[in-house]
Amino acid sequence: MTLVRKLYDWVEVRLGISQVIEKEMTGYLLPRTINNWYSLGSVLLFAFSLQVVSGILLLIYYVPDADKAFKSVSVIMNDIPFGWLIRLCHAVGSNLMVATLFLHMFSVLFMGSYKKPRELQWVSGFTLLNLVMGISLTGYLLPWSQLSFWATTVATNSVGAIPVVGEYLVEFVRGGKLVGPPTLGRFFAVHVAVLPLVIAGLIGAHLFFLKRTGISAPPTSNDLPGPTCQGSVYHYEKHQGGIPFFPNFFLHDMTSISIYFACLLGVVFFSPYLFFTPDSFVPANAFQTPAHIKPEWYFLANYQILKIFPSEIIGLTVQGAGMTFIALLPFVDRGDGRYPLKRPLFMVCALGGIALFIALSIWGHLS
Amino acid sequence: MEQDGRRVFIMTCIGGVAAVTAGAVAYPVISYLAPRQGKDNSAAVIIPEKDVPPDGAKFFQYHGKAAVVVRKKDGSVTALSAVCTHLGCIVQWEAQKGAFVCPCHGGQFSTEGKVLGGPPPKPLELLKVTVANGVITVG
Ligand code: HEM
Ligand code: FES
Repeated sequence: MTLVRKLYDWVEVRLGISQVIEKEMTGYLLPRTINNWYSLGSVLLFAFSLQVVSGILLLIYYVPDADKAFKSVSVIMNDIPFGWLIRLCHAVGSNLMVATLFLHMFSVLFMGSYKKPRELQWVSGFTLLNLVMGISLTGYLLPWSQLSFWATTVATNSVGAIPVVGEYLVEFVRGGKLVGPPTLGRFFAVHVAVLPLVIAGLIGAHLFFLKRTGISAPPTSNDLPGPTCQGSVYHYEKHQGGIPFFPNFFLHDMTSISIYFACLLGVVFFSPYLFFTPDSFVPANAFQTPAHIKPEWYFLANYQILKIFPSEIIGLTVQGAGMTFIALLPFVDRGDGRYPLKRPLFMVCALGGIALFIALSIWGHLS
Repeated sequence: MEQDGRRVFIMTCIGGVAAVTAGAVAYPVISYLAPRQGKDNSAAVIIPEKDVPPDGAKFFQYHGKAAVVVRKKDGSVTALSAVCTHLGCIVQWEAQKGAFVCPCHGGQFSTEGKVLGGPPPKPLELLKVTVANGVITVG
């Protein structure tokens, strides 16, 4: 014990760790009314770390070569001890992470936390959602199964609807006229190097914004009317008399992380192929399109929009407009209040939007 | 005092849970990373006799390590470890010299594994070998 103590003192004299702990942990105060929705950020940090660790472990046996990729994934699943566990954690984890991102976004949406001064938090968060969907899309190709191959074909095809440059863009993304070995090389690099770095950097920015603005207090019906953020000078929202992050809210974070992990392992152990289809178990064949090829559940709405409109370019434009609107929401919705029940127009739009998204996804699934 | 007892109890519980969790994570990860057992390593290696002409040598894997069979001019056959006893390079067969030469620091060995020169401190390990019915069996 004295040795540990000595080591601690040695570091303490040099780095002043206790001050950091005081500032960021025990002395970092959160609003008393804080709720469990606020722990989703920590869940997402955990989920991302899990993807990184399981991804690095997969890299040890995965071979990014069109002739060998499928075989190497089969070897991971069948021959390497616990390979199935690592791979399923990675594949199921990507789905749960996207789902958690949606929940996080909805909670922020309904609590109005995207409003001034937290616009940058919203924009960086929405970008993160899209990047995670992008990293999933690129990872999806890597096992080089029939599903990988044809889902990627469909997804990259839609880029072709962009006028003038579309056709060239598709070729550029695929590294050839069709999805093939060059596509695997590109997607592999993007999946394991480019996007993880960009996502990690953006997570850093997201947290930096959080640190600078201070965390929001959940809105209540007794909130004073008037702007949530006054004046034109920088102001840190501190919560005097609040609860400390450590240990109080830390325990909530841990609880939520445990629930997330339990859900993940629940799927991995009891329904491991929930997110797979029979086509995931057949190696890619460029000469045989399987029937009913569909993207992953979180792309179904986009997929259905493309199908509804008579021309792909209209479909793409509608999606682009929708995404831009969501990204810029804090600059559009600049009203004062944050309490949802006092914002009827907002509530109708938000609930309507979510209902539409779900309906389109179900429609996409069934059609 | 009672306060202290509770603290110790809780810390022990947390420590216990943390240790079990760490074990539950470490066990699969270490099994996943552990080197994979290759095919049965203990099996003898069989080489057709015609692969090793007089003054010729054939290298192969034996128990996961490099080994060599060599046939002398008189037709007798020996099998040795091909791992140099100096720093572990793989020795090469030089037919004109009738000896093994290590490419790393010039160690030299006879067909019986004896050190003929250079830094190696020990002879090459001899392996058990039998020749019958046109096949050489090592091990
Ligand atoms: C937010 C982070 C990530 C997400 C959402 C994600 C998502 C995915 C998805 C959906 C797949 C296909 C799943 C399958 O069918 O097996 C996949 C495969 C793969 N990922 Fe990731 N990934 C992430 C991060 C990483 C990182 C950081 C690495 C490595 C540095 C990595 C390495 C791999 C490899 C090697 C495969 C192919 C093996 C396999 O298919 O099982 N991933 N990823
Ligand atoms: S390793 Fe063979 S002589 Fe040094």
